[in-house]
Amino acid sequence: MTQQDELLKSAYSESLDDNVEKLDALLGKSIDLIIRPFVLHKGKDLRARCYFTDGLTKAAEIDTLLTGLMAFTEDVFGDREELTGKELTERLLLNFSVRMTHEIGEGITAVLSGDTLLLVEGVGAGLIVGSRGWDMRSVAEPATETVVRGPRDGFTENIRTNTAIMRRRIRDPNLRIEGMQIGTRSKTDVNIAYIKDVAKEGLVEEVKLRLSRIRIDAVLESGYIEELIEDAPRSIFVTIQSTERPDKVAAAILEGRVAVFVDNTPFVLVMPTFFWEYVQAADDYYSRYWVGSFFRQIRYICFILSLTLSPIYVMLVSFHHEMIPTELALTIASGRAVVPFPVLLEALLMEIAFELMREAGLRMPKPIGQAVSIVGSLIIGQAAVQAGLVSPFMVIVVAVTGIASFAIPNYPASFSIRLVRFPLIVAAGFFGLLGFAVFLFAFMIHALSLRSFGEPYLAPAAPFRPQDQKDLLARMPWWSYEKRPSIAKDRRRQPSGTKPRPPRPS
Amino acid sequence: MNGLRRICSALLALALLAGCGGKQEISELAIVTGVGLDLSDDGEGVRVTAQIVRAADARGQTGAPAGGTGEPIYSVSAEGETIFEAIRNLARVSSRRVYWAHNFVIAMSEEYAREGISDMVDFFTRNHELRMETKVVVTPDRAEELVSTRTGIEILPGESIEKLFWYSDIVGEAPQTNMMHIEEMLLSKTTHPMIARAKLRKAGISNKKPEKGASVNQVELAGAAVFKLDRMVGWLTPDQTKAAVFFIQKVESLTIPLACPKEEKRKATAELQGHRFHATPSLKDGEISFRVTMDVAADLVEYGCNEPLESALPDLEKLLEEDLRGGIESMLEVAQNDYQVDFLKLGDRVRNEYPVYWHRVERRWDGIFPGVEIEVDVHAEITSPVLKVRGGRK
Repeated sequence: MTQQDELLKSAYSESLDDNVEKLDALLGKSIDLIIRPFVLHKGKDLRARCYFTDGLTKAAEIDTLLTGLMAFTEDVFGDREELTGKELTERLLLNFSVRMTHEIGEGITAVLSGDTLLLVEGVGAGLIVGSRGWDMRSVAEPATETVVRGPRDGFTENIRTNTAIMRRRIRDPNLRIEGMQIGTRSKTDVNIAYIKDVAKEGLVEEVKLRLSRIRIDAVLESGYIEELIEDAPRSIFVTIQSTERPDKVAAAILEGRVAVFVDNTPFVLVMPTFFWEYVQAADDYYSRYWVGSFFRQIRYICFILSLTLSPIYVMLVSFHHEMIPTELALTIASGRAVVPFPVLLEALLMEIAFELMREAGLRMPKPIGQAVSIVGSLIIGQAAVQAGLVSPFMVIVVAVTGIASFAIPNYPASFSIRLVRFPLIVAAGFFGLLGFAVFLFAFMIHALSLRSFGEPYLAPAAPFRPQDQKDLLARMPWWSYEKRPSIAKDRRRQPSGTKPRPPRPS
Repeated sequence: MNGLRRICSALLALALLAGCGGKQEISELAIVTGVGLDLSDDGEGVRVTAQIVRAADARGQTGAPAGGTGEPIYSVSAEGETIFEAIRNLARVSSRRVYWAHNFVIAMSEEYAREGISDMVDFFTRNHELRMETKVVVTPDRAEELVSTRTGIEILPGESIEKLFWYSDIVGEAPQTNMMHIEEMLLSKTTHPMIARAKLRKAGISNKKPEKGASVNQVELAGAAVFKLDRMVGWLTPDQTKAAVFFIQKVESLTIPLACPKEEKRKATAELQGHRFHATPSLKDGEISFRVTMDVAADLVEYGCNEPLESALPDLEKLLEEDLRGGIESMLEVAQNDYQVDFLKLGDRVRNEYPVYWHRVERRWDGIFPGVEIEVDVHAEITSPVLKVRGGRK
């Protein structure tokens, strides 16, 4: 244990000077650290100090604190000898949040989090007064997952705002939000939200256990946490869902899942996660169920297309010409007549060109991003074909693949599908149907072997769970969802027979 | 980790060592859409003519710069002692690998067919690239010429011959014959093959010289070639084929022109709509005989007679019956007397009905068939006189 650690663990002494010495040693001199010495009992010349960080505090809270102490201490205490922290809290501090601490380190963390540490001569403890308040982005529409019908609010970088958004959606006393701090240096607030009687036993404990095992120095985004607690750290598949949408998180919590909020990021983690959720959009549940089901099917098709279309094209054109209908074979052959590259190289070129455009459009400032896509599409779509570098068919295939991958609502998931596609293309180009099938099955078997917090990743399709099928391929009407998915402890969502109907004429 | 590395290096080795074995870009293939088989000039071997697509010209402007003559096909021929050798010899002139999987049609000349087709069937069914639904025709012309003739509508001649088969249901003058049917007929112990006949006929009218009338060669699909085992023995006329097709396939439709009951020169036309066709064998005193029954429902689609329709209808029905019966009987006459070959799958019917009897006569069936008595019974009904006029020009 270093000297610093010892100091952090040590207790406050009764002497203000001792405490000040320790704090000075620990905090040093930072420009934003403000120390406000004052006297609260003129008669007894009782000294005190406030520590707080400029920019993280609300001035009004500190005003209130000083007003209470400096104006009323003499009136309240008079000539009494003893002045305890408890009495200070109960009789003098007008602020809404005050707690007492005996450990130096705790006080320091509080100061750095935006609270105010109050030290008074003769009180052998520190008082932490809540005074957090800083500038932040207001609640805005999520940038990554947009909906046509549905709430427009998204999570922000402030964890308290985020949990408040959750509370606004679920006013259940059983919605528990538990806090912890992760990161030996960053001390990032991490909150775990779940509904006590819906979440399965052991799940919350497992999440907490895994979180408590994290020993990293700083957590700057929930992606850190995700990689440090997931079941399959080496897999390409995402086994923990991250989302910016409060309604998605609320729905997940209501199904018995656990959400992990991380401070300073709008992305909230939801666990356990099933693969098929990446194909389900929030819209599905808000629009009419016919429409929701239809678009969900479209997304399944998109998923299959984006994974297999270009490998299948490569495979057919370079090995299995007999599998292409004659007319189509001639069209493809005529388009390829002047292309100098083998189809595998052509496909890789086009796929990489596409990824290039996507990445460039993303990294450039927004106004320029548009220009990138226009120039890119002109070059790829028009010029490359006319120059005879690629065949028009390949352009169509890659474009369809790209658009299909954009239709997958979850961004990280659509990325992993795009990554899987490259080895598939190479396998199809080298070995034809054999290579394609072997790789595809290898990926499928791998996905089958995955678990997310104890739940099979491909459930409810494999293992097949008949009771959960209502929300897999189609989105059934809400009155038919009598039960929650089988991951929930309390399975009953609503009593049966809630299908609406007009009153019967009597 | 070690395992992962091992798997990765195995995959890498597999990819690098195997290379792109068997890879063949689609644009490097000579896609064959029609094959012609003739006897070679010395009469010893065979001449194979392949109709190869020039994809860039067959598809025109697809964004890629098109080069070449603008002709959608390229026909080459090569000779050899066997079909396989002839096809190998095609490589002497073809700059690309000849690729058979998209072949539409196999045409044989009459001379070739008379020499025996079992080589052809053997080769084209053994080769894994070839499909069993490839259509097969016999032509009295040179197969070489038939395969290389460009027809009017379709870009690829092979395709246009294949599509003739699609609509041959309407005229019913040629049987549907693809490799599968032919192999089946050839291997069958009871049936002899019958293959559709395609012929070049000056049916196309040149748009540039319309005054010359029909002067451009087109392929006509009508009639059939009759085989005994694998050797062709003769032709069936389109009319005879019409009747024969009832025995071996489902007929969709048929038009039958009829003379008016009381005026020979005026005509009416019936279109066959639905029919039930049965050829039932019966065994009596060790003698097999057939009874062919046909129930026909027809529409009247043209009516040029002066007589009112109501009174003419029964006569028309009788004429229709006679016409159909006459057609079948004359076809049977040809089958039993001229060719003495059962290409009507009548043997199949006997085997299905009287297996024990069949077992006894199986080897002698070719001898028995010409003498089998076949009774034809047609019942026709004109169900829908679709015409609006009540009949009569006056």
